Amino acid sequence: MIIVFALFLLTLLVITALAIVQTTNLFVAVMLTSIFSLLMASNFFILDAADVALTEAAVGAGITTVIFLAALMLTTEHEKPHLSRRKLNTVVITILASLIIYATFDKPRLGDPDAPVHQHLAPWYLEKTPEYMDFPNVVTAILGSFRGYDTLGEVFVVFAACIGVLFILGVKPPEGSTYNPYRSGLKHHLIPQVVGRLLIPFLVLFGLYVQFHGEYSPGGGFQAGALIASAIILYALLEGEAAALRAVPRSVLLGLVIGGATLYGGVGVVCILMGGNFLEYTVLLDNPVAAQQTGIILIEAGVGMAVCGALLSIFHAFAARPMRV
Amino acid sequence: MYLVVSIAILVTMILALVRALRGPTVYDRVLAVNMFGTKTVLLLAVIAFLFGRPDFLDLALAYALINLVGVLAVLEFIQNKPRKAETSNID
Repeated sequence: MIIVFALFLLTLLVITALAIVQTTNLFVAVMLTSIFSLLMASNFFILDAADVALTEAAVGAGITTVIFLAALMLTTEHEKPHLSRRKLNTVVITILASLIIYATFDKPRLGDPDAPVHQHLAPWYLEKTPEYMDFPNVVTAILGSFRGYDTLGEVFVVFAACIGVLFILGVKPPEGSTYNPYRSGLKHHLIPQVVGRLLIPFLVLFGLYVQFHGEYSPGGGFQAGALIASAIILYALLEGEAAALRAVPRSVLLGLVIGGATLYGGVGVVCILMGGNFLEYTVLLDNPVAAQQTGIILIEAGVGMAVCGALLSIFHAFAARPMRV
Repeated sequence: MYLVVSIAILVTMILALVRALRGPTVYDRVLAVNMFGTKTVLLLAVIAFLFGRPDFLDLALAYALINLVGVLAVLEFIQNKPRKAETSNID
């Protein structure tokens, strides 16, 4: 049953991917990427990976589309014809694809309980999460505590990516450019105005719910940051970019990115100062279970702040460049 | 019952995908993407009940909210970027 659904959606996924490669119109490619992301998210959902599906929805379907379109504003719509060594490309791709297909013969069946991945660590995580953390979402437990180092690395990668984009796009635009920060957005369209304005508070509320309910249901800092960022992007689309910058200035965004990364690292350092290892939350409070929960809530807040600030900084960096006609 | 509904939604998804792939105008594709998003929301909701996990409805909610932001971004893009020809000549 699940297999049939998954196969069906994967087939559509392959068709969409081929169409993205085929088309030379970049706008069409962006539209199809949005569909690709929705299909991918449905697949994750069917395979019971709700946290990943939520991330794919919040980042892939929403914010990636917005950032792709913002990038498309700065360039031309049609891909330039490129002179490539087609024969060599085909040979390399054929060899690699057959290697990958050959490798899949050794792969365990989908959902096989005897697969090596289900033998070693996963049972331990499932067994110990209720004991150490006392909440049901094992994914949050793994991300926040068991593998807290990896998540710290991810936050620093987001931080570095944000700085990299600002370095490249943040330079002063050339003289006589057409950028107008008071561009009206969709201000003169009544229906998007009314519906969109109504939706912004609910989007923020849902983001906060995902942030603070991450221990009990799918979600966590990353998804929440993306949801709140998309609420502010919605405001920017409706009221124009200048209004969004008035509401949440650039300094606040950079503060969020830096503050989020620092908060995460700071929790780790506090753990050391209180006599534990780096990111060993059990020493934070007298009760080890409550301490684990506090630590996870703190670092999730750091993740949410960093992701929200980074996504919005990148969006504004793109929007501030002159449009290419 | 849920099964029949989900198959019907999958068929609709194919139709939307065909329109998104074939175009020909920009607006065909925008509408197709929007409709595809709506069908994804419905599919997730129905499958959540089919598999007996109604607590995953959160996800469908997130999709419904995010989809609107994406479509509004596309509309703003089309409004602001001057287009050479209204019908783009793809495929």
